[in-house]
Formats: sequence, C-alpha cells, structure tokens
Amino acid sequence: MARTVPTTGQKLNFLLFLVISILILYFDLSSNNFQNIKNGFKSFKISSYFVLKEITVEPLKSLQNLYKTKSSLIKENEILREKLKLSDLNNFITSKDNIFSKNEEILEDLDKYNFFYDIAKLRSINPNMFKCCDKHRMQIEVIAKDKTDNIEKFVFNKMGIIGQIIYQNKYSEVLLLTDISHSLPIKSESDNFFCNARGSGREGFIICKYNPLVWSEEIIKNQIFYTSGMGGIYPKDIEVGHVTNIEAVNSNEKSLLIKLNASPLDSNIFGVLKN
Amino acid sequence: MSFIKRLLFLSVINFIDQTMSNFLSEFFIIIPLTFLSYCFYVYRSDKNISALEAFLLGLFFDLISSSYFGLNTIFFCLVAYYLNSNANSFKLFSYLQVCIFFGLSASAYVGFTQLVLNLYNFSYLTLFLSSIVNIIFCFIIAFIAAYFPKSINMKL
Repeated sequence: MARTVPTTGQKLNFLLFLVISILILYFDLSSNNFQNIKNGFKSFKISSYFVLKEITVEPLKSLQNLYKTKSSLIKENEILREKLKLSDLNNFITSKDNIFSKNEEILEDLDKYNFFYDIAKLRSINPNMFKCCDKHRMQIEVIAKDKTDNIEKFVFNKMGIIGQIIYQNKYSEVLLLTDISHSLPIKSESDNFFCNARGSGREGFIICKYNPLVWSEEIIKNQIFYTSGMGGIYPKDIEVGHVTNIEAVNSNEKSLLIKLNASPLDSNIFGVLKN
Repeated sequence: MSFIKRLLFLSVINFIDQTMSNFLSEFFIIIPLTFLSYCFYVYRSDKNISALEAFLLGLFFDLISSSYFGLNTIFFCLVAYYLNSNANSFKLFSYLQVCIFFGLSASAYVGFTQLVLNLYNFSYLTLFLSSIVNIIFCFIIAFIAAYFPKSINMKL
C-alpha cells in the first residue's frame, strides 16, 4: 500500500515537535532541571534489576548451591572475598607507605574513629558513557547505619580517589574525576606547584592547564601529583597520579596529562569518607 | 504493533546496543543500533509515523540511554519526517542506495551525538570508521534479509 505524502498540518506538527526537542535539549544542556527525572529513573532501573535478580536468578543459584556438596565452602569463600575487599580499603587508609597516612590531621582522626568511612557498593556505571563521553558518573549505595548527608563527600577505592558524591537519594550519584565538569585541586610533592586539574572526558586521565610564567617549577614526565586539600572536599596529600604527557599550548599555557591511579572499574566496593 | 510493544522493543534493542557498543568502543566504532532499528521501523511501516509518536519514542530513548533529553527526539522527528515524505521514492531505489542512505544517516547521527556528548574528545577517526562500518552493517542486514528463508519476512 502506498503511503501518502505528509499534509501541511502534519509538516507543521513535525516542525513544532522539532522546535520543542531543540528547546528541551538546550535547557538540559544549559541547566540541571531534568536531573531529578534522570536520577529517579536510574534508581527505578537499578531497583528493578535487583528485584528481578532476587526473584529469578538468586533462587536458582541457591538451589544449585543446595545440591552442591561444597556449598558451605563457596559461602565461606564469598565472605572471605568480601572481607578481603574491605581489608584492601582499610589498607589504603592506614598503609604506612601511603601518603594519606602522612597527613597528621587524618592520623589524629584515625585515633578518634576506628572506622571513619562508610562502605559503599557499586550499583550502576554506564561503561559506554565512561569510555566514550564527557559525562562520567556512577551510582553507589552507601551502607551506613545512620542516614547522613553524603553530598560532597569524597569516594575512594583501594587504588585511590574516584570522585565525589553530588546527588543523594536511595542511591548516590558520584561525579568521577574524569568528568569534564569536575575540577580537582592538585599539587606537586615540593608544594611549589598548584593547579586545578579538570576531567578530560577520557578514561583514566585528567588535564591540568597552567601558566609557566607563574609556576616556575619544572614538571617532568612521570612526576607524581597529590591533592592540595584546597576546595575542602579532598584531604591533602593523597596521591592522584603521574604525568604522562606535557604539551606547550602557547607561551602562556602548558597542559599536563595526568594518568590517575584509581579507576572506578577496578572494584565494586568503595569507601565514602565521613568527615 | 502497539505503542507499548514498540517501547519494549526499543528497550531490548537499546540493551543490545549498549552491550555491543561497550565492546566496539575499543575499536573507535559506534553502531547506533537503536537509531537504525527505528529508521527501519519507519521505513517498513505501512502508514505514516506521527510527529507525536516520533517525539515520544525519542524522549523514551533519551531516558533509557542516559543521554540529554531532546538529543534523540530531534533525530527521530527528522528521520520520521524525511522517510514519510519520501516513502514512495524509496521504492524506486536499489538496495545499494537504500543501504548507503541508512549508513550515512547513522554516521550523521553518530557525528551529532558525539558533538553533544563528547565535544572535548571529538574524534574524526571514530566518525570515519563508524561511517564505513555502518554502511557495511546495512549491507550485511540487507544481504541477510534478501537471502534468508522467505519465512523471515524482513526483506528491505
């Protein structure tokens, strides 16, 4: 059957919806008004996934385990694995080799609190967006006894800093260091060079642009950078990563490409600093 | 096909799309499977797709794919309008021309979405490779549809 050519009214309809679409896109790009809808949908998606998994896959798994002679060993193995992950997190905080522990203020806090961070589990990360695009976010579930405000708390895994929480509901949205809207204050080991490193939109890299006329310290490849503690979100002296490329943009600007130590894909358990 | 069925179908295709693109992104290739499926649906439809339907499907796709609202609605409306207007003309075209058209539409989609989603790391290599792969992909689909058993009624 032949299709009719759209009438003038239908053409106007298309034009109208096209204009509406462009306006919606403009508002979404320039403001954050649709974030609640998106986060609500993400929460719904994650919850549905776990509910469905709980109903369908888990009973089958448990049935399978029931008939296995080594089921208790499997369970024990799982518990040990979880404990190992937690131990990795503890090691990151308390390790003597880690720059984190050299910060006296944090060492004082360590004496006050036995466990001064909350454990969080990864709930969702879109690897496509993470590997392709400028917007790098992930959803975590903070497992804490008391419901506290986690917004602007920093998130880390066993390898180092991952990002900061920017939205909190049932699940918390983490703005990753590599997101182009993220800015991380960093410094060199000598304390003579400071810079705000922005997310590059590429997996594992942040970019620090600076004026070589202002900052005279010579930066070399593989030089290690640390958090400067400025901005009030990330504590001071945490190793962030090392320089992989130095580019002179012009006489007034140089760009450092810094490879991050930590990747959110390394582990599915994170720590969220309480204070 | 009812509207709910179309939404479900779009969700399943989107899931496959995301799973595939996770692997393909390592090779700088993007195949917008959901967009191509929608194009195919509009192309194969017996009647014209309304602007409202194109808008709502685009908006739903924006929601499930975590992209900016309006990004896919623009493309869904444009494609629906263009295919509605030229549905009869397409019947005169050869498989080759139709495949090149869909392949290039997919490339334009990739280029535009990359401009919005990945402006800071826009890659011409990705765009170029994706264009070639999308055209080849459309050829493969047309080839499979043409030479598969007639019981699978998907002929382009």
